[in-house]
Amino acid sequence: MSSYISAENINLTFRPKNREAVTALSEFNIDIEQGQFVSIVGPSGCGKSTFLNVLLGLIPPNTGVMSVNGRTVTGPGTDRAMVFQEFGLLPWRTVAHNVELGLELQGVAKGPRRETCQGFIKMVGLTGFENHYPHELSGGMKQRVGLARALASDPDVLLMDEPFAALDAQTRDIMQAELLRIWHEAKKTVLFVTHQIEEAVYLSDHVIVMTKRPGRTKKLVPIDLPRPRDYEMRVSPRFNELKLEIWNELKDELSVGGDEDSGHA
Amino acid sequence: MATSTVEPSTYIAPPPAEETYYEAHEPTILGGGFILAVFAVWELYPAIFGLSKGMKLFFATPSDIIAALYSLLILNEKLPMVGTIWQHFNASTGTFLFGLGLSIIVALPLGVVLGRSQTVDAMFDPFITAFNATPRLVFLPIVLIWFGVGFWTVIAIVFLGAVFPLLINTYAGVKNADKLLINVVRSFGANEWQINKLVVLPNSLPFIIAGLRLAIGRAILGVVVAEFFGGTEFGLGVIMVQASQSYRVDILFAVLIIFMVVSLLITAAVKQIENRLSRWRPAKIKTF
Ligand SMILES: Nc1ncnc2c1ncn2[C@@H]1O[C@H](COP(=O)(O)OP(=O)(O)OP(=O)(O)O)[C@@H](O)[C@H]1O
Ligand SMILES: [Mg+2]
Repeated sequence: MSSYISAENINLTFRPKNREAVTALSEFNIDIEQGQFVSIVGPSGCGKSTFLNVLLGLIPPNTGVMSVNGRTVTGPGTDRAMVFQEFGLLPWRTVAHNVELGLELQGVAKGPRRETCQGFIKMVGLTGFENHYPHELSGGMKQRVGLARALASDPDVLLMDEPFAALDAQTRDIMQAELLRIWHEAKKTVLFVTHQIEEAVYLSDHVIVMTKRPGRTKKLVPIDLPRPRDYEMRVSPRFNELKLEIWNELKDELSVGGDEDSGHA
Repeated sequence: MATSTVEPSTYIAPPPAEETYYEAHEPTILGGGFILAVFAVWELYPAIFGLSKGMKLFFATPSDIIAALYSLLILNEKLPMVGTIWQHFNASTGTFLFGLGLSIIVALPLGVVLGRSQTVDAMFDPFITAFNATPRLVFLPIVLIWFGVGFWTVIAIVFLGAVFPLLINTYAGVKNADKLLINVVRSFGANEWQINKLVVLPNSLPFIIAGLRLAIGRAILGVVVAEFFGGTEFGLGVIMVQASQSYRVDILFAVLIIFMVVSLLITAAVKQIENRLSRWRPAKIKTF
């Protein structure tokens, strides 16, 4: 196998106590080459976050093999870091101290740690807020702290779970550009979950469309737009063709309220 | 209730009334005044109405008590029993700190382990539930037999009183720890020890502090009860028993006031610690 990130026939069923079991992933397969920017779109509740958690090593799959760079994932590792959908900031730590979490756990000394993190705090536009606590920040600011924290730990694989969902449109554009720059410079592999088709097309090399739950890969859409991407590309005919192609794949999976009566194991 | 429909544009708020000094300080004045009144009646009652000879034996006026406090605490006079009040005070403080310290050393790690490990939880849960449901004094005779009369019995009683509220609260706090945050630090490579240090303990701090408050109350109670029965030579509880046997009501009240003041001071200290540790929290949920 030459692929860098690979999921082979992953099955995962949640069995919460005193509640019905939920199959989140069923025969889920994915192959991603090193250095690619891949977005995942799919209906709400189809298992996108669950898959990222499997890849991160937080949830072991029931069956199937998840591997990164030829090694089977058996737990978390410093080669992967996630920007969490619900931010996941430690409320008793300041912004700076939150961003330092990864490096701190890697055993990096305080001085260099501070310095590195300062750069990322600046990058996400939070200079001056280093000593604020999370409860003093807006949703968008919290999300940017989560982004800085993941980037600061310098992973090879960056997992991003709707990282820009809480941002206003302008900040989102800026963060997208920054993300592309970092991805290009640092040669990271990025898995990016979003509900915005336009965002997925703009950023990605490939877009994966997932089925409704239990989630499987429905279609892999290669994005053949040239790089570097720029803002004007968003109005090009090819861009809109790709958007439409993805939308057509996705719309069959969207059924309002249909999430509840399918996929129970 | 009828809903009033005042249009915002036409509604003019009444000018704020000037608060009088009394209105601004009503609770303080009422509270303080009432205490003073009680003390005045208490002080003057024997002078005005007189006391029968029998009653006199059981009565001490506030001035008697203050005199006793002054001679015991400031002049450090010898008690009619043994030693000075400070010797007894120090003995009780030592018992309190030692017993409470021991219970913290046991309850915190055990609470974390119970909260984090389902296996250990299942093993210990029946014991803890049973012990916690049993009034602590029931253990006194057993403790007396096992440890004999003296220091260790007293410590054991204090420990038994303090350890359960702390253990149970720590456990509840740990169980309540945010799963997402645990996953976050795990994802950045934290091991079990680091998970506890970075998430579980800070997350359960409000519970632990609440448990600590309860534990302190129980520990003080334990000190007194144990000194009543435990057979040590020194301790404020020992004096209380002896003062009561020799009808020294003034000393009895003096010791009682010492307990009140110490308890209030400790409560204030815990509050301070709590405030210091919860700077990161929004102000409105600071008072747990
Ligand atoms: N810890 C859990 N216990 C039980 N069920 C869970 C758990 N986590 C997720 N699920 C269920 O698994 C399914 C997939 O959840 P997941 O969070 O992966 O969805 P998602 O694709 O990320 O959705 P969204 O786009 O809304 O974030 C959902 O039906 C959810 O209810
Ligand atoms: Mg999700």
